[in-house]
Amino acid sequence: MSIQSKDAVLKVLRGEKPDHVPNFSGMGSITLHGIQQLGYRFNEIHGDARKMADSAASTHRLFGFESAIVPFDMGVVAESLGAGMKYYEKADLGQIIYPTMTRKLVDRSTVTVPEGMSEADAKTFVMKEIENQITNYQLQKPADVAQAGRIPIVLEALRILKRELGEDVAIGSWTLGPFTELGQIMDLEVLLKLSAKKPDVVNRRLQFMVEYLTEVIQLYIEAGADFITVREMGATASILSPRMFKSLVLPNLQALFGRINRVPTVLHICGDTNPIIELMAQSGASALSIDQMNRLNESRAKLSNVILLGNYKPFGAPFCEGQPEEVEEMIRQSIEQGADGVWPGCDLWPVVPPENMRAMMAAMKKYGVKSG
Amino acid sequence: MATAEQQADILERLKNGVIEYDEESVVKASHEALETGMDAYQAVMDGLAAGMDVVGAYFANGEYFVPEVLMCADALYAGLHLLRPHIKMDTEKMIKGSVVIGTVEGDIHDIGKNLVKMMFEVAGFTVHDLGRDVPLDNFVEKYMETDSDIICMSAMMTTTMIGMPVVIEKVRAKNPRAKIMIGGAPINEDIAQKWGADGTGKDAPNALQEALNMIGVLRDLGDQFKAERVQKEWGADGLLDATKP
Repeated sequence: MSIQSKDAVLKVLRGEKPDHVPNFSGMGSITLHGIQQLGYRFNEIHGDARKMADSAASTHRLFGFESAIVPFDMGVVAESLGAGMKYYEKADLGQIIYPTMTRKLVDRSTVTVPEGMSEADAKTFVMKEIENQITNYQLQKPADVAQAGRIPIVLEALRILKRELGEDVAIGSWTLGPFTELGQIMDLEVLLKLSAKKPDVVNRRLQFMVEYLTEVIQLYIEAGADFITVREMGATASILSPRMFKSLVLPNLQALFGRINRVPTVLHICGDTNPIIELMAQSGASALSIDQMNRLNESRAKLSNVILLGNYKPFGAPFCEGQPEEVEEMIRQSIEQGADGVWPGCDLWPVVPPENMRAMMAAMKKYGVKSG
Repeated sequence: MATAEQQADILERLKNGVIEYDEESVVKASHEALETGMDAYQAVMDGLAAGMDVVGAYFANGEYFVPEVLMCADALYAGLHLLRPHIKMDTEKMIKGSVVIGTVEGDIHDIGKNLVKMMFEVAGFTVHDLGRDVPLDNFVEKYMETDSDIICMSAMMTTTMIGMPVVIEKVRAKNPRAKIMIGGAPINEDIAQKWGADGTGKDAPNALQEALNMIGVLRDLGDQFKAERVQKEWGADGLLDATKP
């Protein structure tokens, strides 16, 4: 009997019993091997719907990975709001550099320092000015969200995936969370300080992001996403205190997840999530995704009824640099520690050797099929 | 001249002002330090930097998080800007090093890098800051151009740190004894060692932790530099003269 991938993924996300532990992701899961077989360059798959969809599908087609996810970079929503992007067109063939923001709506480039000001005074001036701009900037949704920036490309890629792969494989999409997304369009350093000094100001901005992300996510769902992942890594306990997570970040995550009812949702936070895992469970997401810094067995014990996805390390050794048998052992541990779905702690690092991808998928057949 | 008690009091207020991120208090104590004729270098190292040492411990213990540390850094800078112009260049006491620093190509996260930079400035280094999203060759070029002692590279994301071994290899080809430090959320000692870097923050869960740990690393390195600086001689091709010790 063939493995029922889509069925297993959706069952896990709905809290039902699947026939096997699925091996999938809600975040970027493309391989350089797959992209090169298609004859594409890494920098061109972010701005072309066909190439984006083919790249996302290739991980399933080549290795049997149990989901297909778009987009791959973290700039889509920020760009649709007016942030400037860079795509590294000149990068060497096969060099992996993800698109980044070159200009935020509010950052050091939007402040002009008066002539003749000393270096010390200029630093203070810039910080104060950015603080003012973050407080007063008139954030506006694009007139037509479906046509803003690369959102139409992501939507078309989702439609292609749904059409060509959607019978058998779960199609997913993702956005950043409200807090992390705000840090993509406004100076992060000042934003972090304001979160401590003037949380009300930051909260008002976060409410805008909740509204906007809801609209983007609804479009992704209409285009074919079977599930949605929200990545709020900027609010990890490696950066923010659990106290601030609870008062500032969590209410806005709850508002966002409260508005997405039509498909299952996943909240992903990387870095140290041990002190906030129970708060994450209050977010309203259908499942939680954590990375290798989370002590999965402890989280499992704390949250017996919560769906936990994790938490192998998708870069370095062993996944990208180890032997296939080490990859197999890594997957065995994830299942043993209580992951409901085997899932990476971040984007799959695309340089993963094909033999390690194959070893990972083979390990699922060995350890992930539930008896009885 | 201030009495010993007055000096101790001023140092204590500089230190606590940084810890409590109280810029006003740091500014006031810095002015007093200058007015009473205190040694500005001592005020920076035993006042401001000592405060940041405590902040580092608070961060490691989970008492402080990034927003708090950033506010502490602002308080430190407020004092540093006042005190630094009054530091007398004392070759015996001070590190005369030069460092090239930047966040690698594809990565625009520079909070950790900026904190590391601040620590170098506090310690008296000349800092060549390449900023963020720095093309890999620029690290090598700037290092050769400025004849610096250290290259520091930062990456926040696993998707960008892969550029680091490329730079390390290129720098080592030019100068096998170059000091290279790497840092950032995904970097740990194992990775640093594997890639042939000379150092990273101990157990650093992220770039910030490294920045704070680096104060200690720098103090150790300082003595080494003084010795090496004297011996170092560059050949005409930009390579170290292999015949020299």
